[in-house]
Amino acid sequence: MADPARIKPEVKPERTSSANEEHPKSDGADDGPATSKPADVNKESSSQDPAKQEEKSDMAAGEDEEEGTSDQASKRLKLEPEKKKERRQKVDEDEIQKMQVLVSSFSEEQLNRYEMYRRSAFPKAAIKRLIQSITGSSVSQNVVIAMSGISKVFAGEIVEEALDVCEKWGETPPLQPKHMREAVRRLKSRAQIPNTKYKQILFQ
Amino acid sequence: MAEDEDEAGYDEELDDGSGGMDVGGHGRRKRLFSKELRCMMYGFGDDQNPYTESVDILEDLVIEFVTEMTHKAMSIGRQGRVQVEDIVFLIRKDPRKFARVKDLLTMNEELKRARKAFDEANYGS
Repeated sequence: MADPARIKPEVKPERTSSANEEHPKSDGADDGPATSKPADVNKESSSQDPAKQEEKSDMAAGEDEEEGTSDQASKRLKLEPEKKKERRQKVDEDEIQKMQVLVSSFSEEQLNRYEMYRRSAFPKAAIKRLIQSITGSSVSQNVVIAMSGISKVFAGEIVEEALDVCEKWGETPPLQPKHMREAVRRLKSRAQIPNTKYKQILFQ
Repeated sequence: MAEDEDEAGYDEELDDGSGGMDVGGHGRRKRLFSKELRCMMYGFGDDQNPYTESVDILEDLVIEFVTEMTHKAMSIGRQGRVQVEDIVFLIRKDPRKFARVKDLLTMNEELKRARKAFDEANYGS
């Protein structure tokens, strides 16, 4: 999955300082946006600074070299996983560069929408409360992170399907409940919405 | 599902006279995600001001999704507990969600390592 922020982990000092900036703000509140915020801060600054973009791709190339030396150092590891990893990282970096080019050519409205898309998240506290009220016992932080992540993807799938429906019916956004309901009906028929209420009894 | 909820809501409205409140099947629970869902819907392509009814429907759907996943996760692996492995297992058939969970957990690990390294550097100096 393309993420211009991916390139940043190599630039550790830069990243941790920005992560530290977020700390006082996000630690008190939920950590929800924190995972996407450092990425966003870096992305926003990169979209405004074309010079910085080149720096980052240089550092990415440097990171490849580091991979090479560690490869020589640990010869007893099979070479194939290393090759695959390098290939995957190269594909990753291509994708990241393409994303950077794309984002730098966004109009103001598109930038706003993209920012909302990246930054919006479910509050971790509410999700944690919800899960704990169902299980009755406490859950780990990773569970909350995973659950909020897939809930956001789920919401996205519904909105996208509803927009398809809206366009197909020749209407315009904002989305109306009838679009949402039709989207749910379609997703249900594709089994993309979990439903354990009705169990079909085949042979009676 | 959503249609049934809406019909029930309409009947309740007539009886209670609670006037204009689309309750839905989940009762009069306070809206948990109204603000965040609005931003999210705009990010996903809807209008900048989505309809409140649509946001409500989406919130109900998300809560139902979380509930279903939690119940399923409780029934597999270690019973009565929800663990990350269970969630990953349940999501394995859906490529988008699977990739997203993997990304999130990987990034979380990286962030934790970065923060730890930064704290140790601070502590040293």
